Amino acid sequence: MLKEMFQVFKKRKQKPLSMQQQLVGEQTELKEQSISSDLEENFQTLKKLFHIPKNNDVKVRELYIEGLNKKACLLFISTISDVKSIEENILKPLLTNKSGKEIKEIVSIQAVTEIHLFKDAVKNLNQGNTVLLIDGCSQGFAMDCPNFQGRTIEKPNTEILIKGPKEAFIEKVDVNISLVRKKIKDENLVVESIDVGARSKSEVYILYIDDLANDKLVENIKNRLNRLDVNSIQNLSLLEEYIEERSYSLFPSILSTERPDRAATFLEDGYIVLLMDNSPDCLVLPATFWSFFHSPEDHYLRFLYGNFTRALRMAAMFITVFTSAIYIAITAYHSEMIPSELMLAIAASREKVPFPAVVEILMMEFAFELIREAGLRVPSPIGPTIGIVGALILGQAAVQANIISPIVIIVSALSGLSSFAVSDISLNFAVRLIRFVFIICAAFMGMYGMTAFFVAGVYYMVSIKSYGVPYLAPMSPSYKSSSDTMFRRLLRNEKFRPGFLKPSDLQKKQ
Amino acid sequence: MKQHRWLKIILLCLLTMGLAGCWDKQELNEKAFVIGIGLDKDEEEGKVKVTYLITNPEAGAQQAGGTTKEPPQEIISLVADDFISSRDTANAIVAKSISYNLLSVLIVSEDLARDPNFIRLIYSAAKDREIKRSLKIIVTKEKAEAFINNNKPKLETRPDNYFGLIINRGQKIGMIPDANLKSFFTDTEGDADFFLAIYATTDKEQRDKENTSDDNLIAGEIKEEGTSNNTEMIGSAVFSQGQMIGKMTGEETRISSLLDDTWNAVDILTAYPDPFDERYRLTVRMSKQKNNTYKLTNDYGRPHFEITVPLYIEVLSDPSMVNYAGNKQKVVKLKQYLTDNIEKKMQQFIEKTQKEFKGDTFHLSVPFRKHFATLGEFRDFDWMKTYPDAEVNVKVEIHFGEFGRQTKLPKLKEVRD
Amino acid sequence: MKQNKGTIGIKEYIALVILTVGAKLSDDTPAILFENAKNAGWIAVALIGLLSVLPILFMLKVFSVHREKNLHEIILHLFGKFIGNIVSVLLLFGGVFALIVDSGISTDIISSFYFTKTPPIIVYSILMMVCAYGAKRGFEHIGTAAWLLLPYVKITLFIVLLFSFGGGTFGFIYPLWGEGMLPIIKTVAKDMSIYADFLYIGLVAPLVTSFKVLKKGTIWALAIVTFEICIAMVAFVMLFDYTTAEMLAYPFHETIRYIHIGFLSNVETFFFPFWLVATFIRFSFYLYLSATLLGGILKIKEFEYLIPLLTTIVILLGAAPESPSITLSAARKMNFQLLTPAFFVLPPLMWILAKIRGDFKNETA
Repeated sequence: MLKEMFQVFKKRKQKPLSMQQQLVGEQTELKEQSISSDLEENFQTLKKLFHIPKNNDVKVRELYIEGLNKKACLLFISTISDVKSIEENILKPLLTNKSGKEIKEIVSIQAVTEIHLFKDAVKNLNQGNTVLLIDGCSQGFAMDCPNFQGRTIEKPNTEILIKGPKEAFIEKVDVNISLVRKKIKDENLVVESIDVGARSKSEVYILYIDDLANDKLVENIKNRLNRLDVNSIQNLSLLEEYIEERSYSLFPSILSTERPDRAATFLEDGYIVLLMDNSPDCLVLPATFWSFFHSPEDHYLRFLYGNFTRALRMAAMFITVFTSAIYIAITAYHSEMIPSELMLAIAASREKVPFPAVVEILMMEFAFELIREAGLRVPSPIGPTIGIVGALILGQAAVQANIISPIVIIVSALSGLSSFAVSDISLNFAVRLIRFVFIICAAFMGMYGMTAFFVAGVYYMVSIKSYGVPYLAPMSPSYKSSSDTMFRRLLRNEKFRPGFLKPSDLQKKQ
Repeated sequence: MKQHRWLKIILLCLLTMGLAGCWDKQELNEKAFVIGIGLDKDEEEGKVKVTYLITNPEAGAQQAGGTTKEPPQEIISLVADDFISSRDTANAIVAKSISYNLLSVLIVSEDLARDPNFIRLIYSAAKDREIKRSLKIIVTKEKAEAFINNNKPKLETRPDNYFGLIINRGQKIGMIPDANLKSFFTDTEGDADFFLAIYATTDKEQRDKENTSDDNLIAGEIKEEGTSNNTEMIGSAVFSQGQMIGKMTGEETRISSLLDDTWNAVDILTAYPDPFDERYRLTVRMSKQKNNTYKLTNDYGRPHFEITVPLYIEVLSDPSMVNYAGNKQKVVKLKQYLTDNIEKKMQQFIEKTQKEFKGDTFHLSVPFRKHFATLGEFRDFDWMKTYPDAEVNVKVEIHFGEFGRQTKLPKLKEVRD
Repeated sequence: MKQNKGTIGIKEYIALVILTVGAKLSDDTPAILFENAKNAGWIAVALIGLLSVLPILFMLKVFSVHREKNLHEIILHLFGKFIGNIVSVLLLFGGVFALIVDSGISTDIISSFYFTKTPPIIVYSILMMVCAYGAKRGFEHIGTAAWLLLPYVKITLFIVLLFSFGGGTFGFIYPLWGEGMLPIIKTVAKDMSIYADFLYIGLVAPLVTSFKVLKKGTIWALAIVTFEICIAMVAFVMLFDYTTAEMLAYPFHETIRYIHIGFLSNVETFFFPFWLVATFIRFSFYLYLSATLLGGILKIKEFEYLIPLLTTIVILLGAAPESPSITLSAARKMNFQLLTPAFFVLPPLMWILAKIRGDFKNETA
């Protein structure tokens, strides 16, 4: 197993050959050809490209346009285009038209673009558009009528708030952009798109507010996206790993959120947001530690309530990371610290337990993680079983069988419970994993080991950067900002955009 | 690639260290918690008899896997060179490793405390890493071993509980001094004031009833009946330069505490003869809410110390039923009477320290230090030598508080009617 | 992945200096000061603080005209190549010696108070490995970490002092002048180099955002540190009286062993991690400074690569002495006495040389 673990590290830097050169079966040459004026020839080429008639949902409609006195051919993929609209707005006008008007004036479709290469034809068809080819015409027309299936806007599932907007991103990117635009009614909000993936062309949308976001940062991210050399990237969660800076680091450096309101807030502070089809979330970058730590509700709630939540969350984080480790350190190394009554109580409860405290703790923590993971994957009809098994068997029975001392149950339950208060999933994982390292450090050298690791960790944390932004900014190193770190300030006192982003306009209110 | 090699090396280092590590690790259930150490003189010169009082964590604990019927404590006595080396010897008898984590009392027999070599023995506590300076020192009339064996608290199952509570309470009411190892060292090294240790015994001594008031007693003199524990902790043992030279009763300890500003304020309940009817005694509650003031004058080469003790007094009883509370004159009389009475007692006590102990027990030198510019001058003054001949005056300033919860009492005559 | 060398702002700078110099109140420095000055040790510290203003001001004056240069480069510039290098080498020896001795003492504290059975070499290795990691991350990040952790370290220190004042006797600080003026002056003369760190801070002067920050930060840090150590010395005397305080090797650790907070009777393990944090940052900084100086002398640009080497040397030498608390303490006293003239004389000398060379003229012109 160790060997495999090392292999994981080893494989990191085998640079793949450039994807463009080895796309087998992609008929690249055909795609590069330009559309000829012979309809039959064009039709054959497209047939080849789309594997017609093997491909069932690619529809071809041959027709005769009376007004132009020409044969024509309409292509679309029926599963992803709006068939009704094709019928109403393209077919009908074309067939009924008697005058010699231009194609663009005949069809009543929002966007009609002329295409000259098969490449473009293919791309448009794949995006759910309809392509019209006309005999004797060396160009085609791509008409906008996509209709991808997806769900409608729902409530957020992971970032649940009590107070505040309750819309979440869905898998359709235009809906997502619309949700953001709804919050930022500003002509400076730019939505740029970049294609990634050599086979499956997916568009990544870069959102930023033009006169706020730092140009270099935008440039940097565009470059990164352009340099990606992969066959396909399905969604943002996968993209995240391609563009993040330290893939092995425990700490996340890109924030992912499913809340459009949160994305809008970040945009208005000068951050950059990435959106993509098939992703019910967005990526916010650069991300600091604090952006993972915060929840939008901190600002939606009244000042004191919001800060109380923050304090609670911070406490929860510390409890998660340190309680189990401190329990081990104290019982095994620094027992004099415990008040005598408690010490004797622990000593008494440990009297009959066969394992050292570390093993006990590790067992319980592992069990807790198991319950958590199993509870997540279990089909909902048998969900309650997990709770019963977890609480009853692992808790009570283990104590009664003298395998675990009762205090360990309290400790691990506390740390497990607290871990749920860290809402961001990336940070949540980071915290839970760090907890295990601290447990091992505590088992090895007590408080000394813990502190050594903690200081090393702080050194690491302050030295890492997310797209040039120090991870713990603006707390340290300090930048001019609204000091929205551990606690938030009154909204009217949060006057500045975060200085570490080097936004063009620092002041956001007087 | 370079980074991975580093990563591997560090990982391997940590793993090997982990395998070899955990030197200081000791699980709680592998420890035997010593609550008290008893020290006695041994017949052989240079040896001591060390008694360990070990608590049993399992006693009285609720356990899911079944409770035990083991006794709450274990006592071991053995002869050793000092109480550091005895630790390993004790492990020949006790299965778990001896831990001083909960060590809270050091019990010394009077016999040993009066020995000039006692100081050598106790300084080894300064060397031991595990012994804290907040360790309390108790001097027992009988052998420490006997004291530990006879001490059977009835309501506190485990001894750690018992010692913590009784010492804490005793200090609050001023019956026993705040005697920890740190003050033993500071007082001994300071070479000016005497150190007071807690005096205790389980050895009962019958004594006549009439010649004592409630608190003018020393351990062993309280006449107590019932099924309670035999242990009594009252009064203090006086140490001069690390050697015990005398003892004081509970009342004297209280007076010493009132004269001493380095002590935390105490809350004293005591009784004085009723000035309005000599057959009865008035119960008063005394506390010090302000610091004493000290004055030094030097007349004719003989230093003259003046101590003013501000006292806050609540008179809680009125056995003669004269209703002094409402009567201004009676209050003045009462105040005057109490002032005289307390001043007299304090003066007597100071005389005793000057004549009998030849040194002060209430850190008198500390407030007077500011009269000296340098330590050299202070040393030349030679507190130990000067104090017994100095003139010490005590003034008491009484501030009356409430006169009990119910200030008025019915007239005795009317009730009798 | 090499981090680019950044500069640090005033907050980080002050935090770093306070943690580095302020940490001295928790090792055997108070014991060394108590030795002669007795209960007037705090007066000695105050005097040292006051007197230190002089060399520091001279040094700042010199730095004001050489803003791009660090201490080593200025020394080279002022003393010429040959003598300058000799001065720097001597400073390096002083600095590395201090690093070895101080880290050895910290190790001794850890292994004699908290981890009695663990081999000191392990404790030492962990200490220095973490510090080396920090030093290798660079000055900027040490400063950032210092600012981040400063509040917790100082809050806990404040709690310790509060409780030791509560448990102590104010009268113990009298007689005010201790053994008299002469021993105090002797202490000042001998141990002034507890602030020699300020001289070495000159090595990173160009890495502070601006000269104004350097000047303001240094003066503030000096004031805060002096105040802090003074208060701590008073607290130790109040708690233990001078006779005992002088006998304690590490008064701070005896203090946290003695005080109790409410129902917690033994709180030293609560304060221990915070003290450790300060210690880690302190030696990271020392390591970084030593590496800078060594790199400067050997003309190695990428001096970060010297850090592992230095760390190894420090561990080997620092773990060598027998009964460290005595040997190292004696070595420390000696180092103090050697560094004091360097600290007190070098800056004025530099100033005079700069004056002679006419460096200050450029400034006014």
